[in-house]
Amino acid sequence: MSNIYLPHLVTIEDIYEEAPWVRSYKLVFKDHEVRDNFDFKAGQFGLYSAFGAGESTFCLASSPTRKGYIQCTFRSVGRVTSALADLSIGDTIGFRGPYGNWFPIDRWKGKDILFIAGGIGLPPVRSVIWNCLDTRENFGDISILYGAKAVEDLVYKNELRHWDERPDINLVQTVDPGGETPEWQGKVGFVPTVLEGMAPSAGNKVVVTCGPPIMIKFVIEVLGRLGFDDNSIYTTLENKMKCGVGKCGRCNVGDVYICKEGPVYTAAEIKQMYNDF
Amino acid sequence: MAERYLKREDLAKLIDSVCSGEGLFVGPKMDGRQVVYAPISAYKDIVFDYIVPRNSFKEFLFPQTEVIARYAVHKDGIDLQGVKAESPEMVVFGSRPCDAASVASLRSVFTWDFVDTSYTEREDRMVIMTIACTDRDEGCFCSTVNLAPDSVGGSDLFLKETLEGGYLVDIVTDRGRTFVERFEGIFSAGGADVDIKRIADVPRLKGVDVKKIKEDLRDTSHYDNDDLWAGLTRKCIGCGACTFVCPTCHCFDIADEGSALEGERRKNWDACQFDHFTLHASGHNPRDTQYKRWRNRFMCKFNFYPNKFSSRGCVGCGRCIRVCPVGLDITEVMEEMSGR
Ligand code: SF4
Ligand code: SF4
Ligand code: FES
Repeated sequence: MSNIYLPHLVTIEDIYEEAPWVRSYKLVFKDHEVRDNFDFKAGQFGLYSAFGAGESTFCLASSPTRKGYIQCTFRSVGRVTSALADLSIGDTIGFRGPYGNWFPIDRWKGKDILFIAGGIGLPPVRSVIWNCLDTRENFGDISILYGAKAVEDLVYKNELRHWDERPDINLVQTVDPGGETPEWQGKVGFVPTVLEGMAPSAGNKVVVTCGPPIMIKFVIEVLGRLGFDDNSIYTTLENKMKCGVGKCGRCNVGDVYICKEGPVYTAAEIKQMYNDF
Repeated sequence: MAERYLKREDLAKLIDSVCSGEGLFVGPKMDGRQVVYAPISAYKDIVFDYIVPRNSFKEFLFPQTEVIARYAVHKDGIDLQGVKAESPEMVVFGSRPCDAASVASLRSVFTWDFVDTSYTEREDRMVIMTIACTDRDEGCFCSTVNLAPDSVGGSDLFLKETLEGGYLVDIVTDRGRTFVERFEGIFSAGGADVDIKRIADVPRLKGVDVKKIKEDLRDTSHYDNDDLWAGLTRKCIGCGACTFVCPTCHCFDIADEGSALEGERRKNWDACQFDHFTLHASGHNPRDTQYKRWRNRFMCKFNFYPNKFSSRGCVGCGRCIRVCPVGLDITEVMEEMSGR
């Protein structure tokens, strides 16, 4: 039997500078067999290694509908992410995964989807967005509300432009008050406030929301006021992880192990958890 | 109904036979002034007069530090090699019933969906020879968690001391039987009519009800009672000693040791009692105070283990009580949580 902690080797094929301190890597498995057979679902995560520094956990930010590579987006804040950020195209890193559960996209056929993301919360949502866009015929209206502290902090700027131009997506962008630039065309205001103004109807709709915990808290409150059922609101939880496979004992929120039973939860499930966030 | 008899002196032969191959013989041994489970290479090193060794023998199944992979950076890439765990035959002589019971708990975590083979391969080759307890100290509370000084679960062979200083041997598992059959000359037949030493009496702690604790901890609202937890565990300084000696504590870290060019990736014991354990890179820490960390350990023992892993989180060995520098006694918290 195999060593569950042994990563695959992946090559950095491309690098995108997304925002200050935020980078994306396009990664390709060195092993052809792994490359050809690797599969995952939107919402799952992996552990990425900078050898010598260690491992760090991020979601798979690409869509499972795009084969042959994976993408991750991360902010350099710690030792491992800083070491990862020091690398260049052609360098090798480690990857273990996919781990965790996923967004039940299969069950959303025929529904409208509203994506709400804040800051560096867009990467996990992006995987779902592209998954839905690549199977566009399965869904009704698709709306995206994305906000960041300031204009420069918005990630995936090229894709935001593309989504903005597409007639089959309703994209609303916002920055926190004071974060706008003279050229800024989007809204100014916090995500929950902008959401309240948009006043989406709750009927036949699924919401996917990721971002800072405080944003998620208020977004869920606003959605509640707008009549959304907690079972139709999906989000992801984050915690410090080391093993990713339910052994190292640190990712739990009360009795819920985020690495195994998460990271995707409905708002209803989160309300059932121990207050251990 | 003893199936075999083992003379104390014959342990010398057993040690020689096990150690002559690749095998490791583990037993109670003196370390400074305390008894610990340690590798034994000579009969004279075994201590026979002990209650509960300071450590559990989990370190032989789940080492304190262990290499899981080696990496080396070359000019055209990285060479990464997984390291297979060494799993020699291991014989633990003189296990206590609480420690033997803890093995199923560790296994339940290490095989929960993903299988950590460095754990299972070691455990699969370990023969556990438990000796029933004939003495106890104030820390012992096995009966309170539904074990006993003579419970056999988790043991391969179960030994009872005879008055003349030998052991009656009960064969508990197939692994135990194979072992005994391999050493036919050492484990002699019969001995049924010898007298055994009196088994220790470990009364249940009054006012503690493990089932009630388990049910109570299922109620998420008790987390709102921060004052209660803070009050109960105020003394704790977060040293982590309780987790290191606990036979069911399984938390670890994964860390690279070496340079950016060459080194190894290791699994190292870690502890939920340390303040950095759950610290996010952002600076947020969901368990930002010691009482939350202590509560997590208690939850792990009496909620996660029984409810999630269907095994026993606490075997009542009392080690955490004996080792705690500030005298925080888990049974006092158990009592408090039983009475609510
Ligand atoms: S919690 Fe304490 S008494 Fe219970 S098994 Fe662990 S060390 Fe022993
Ligand atoms: S041994 Fe005592 S002081 Fe140390 S972490 Fe455990 S409970 Fe706290
Ligand atoms: S990350 Fe190790 S238990 Fe979840």
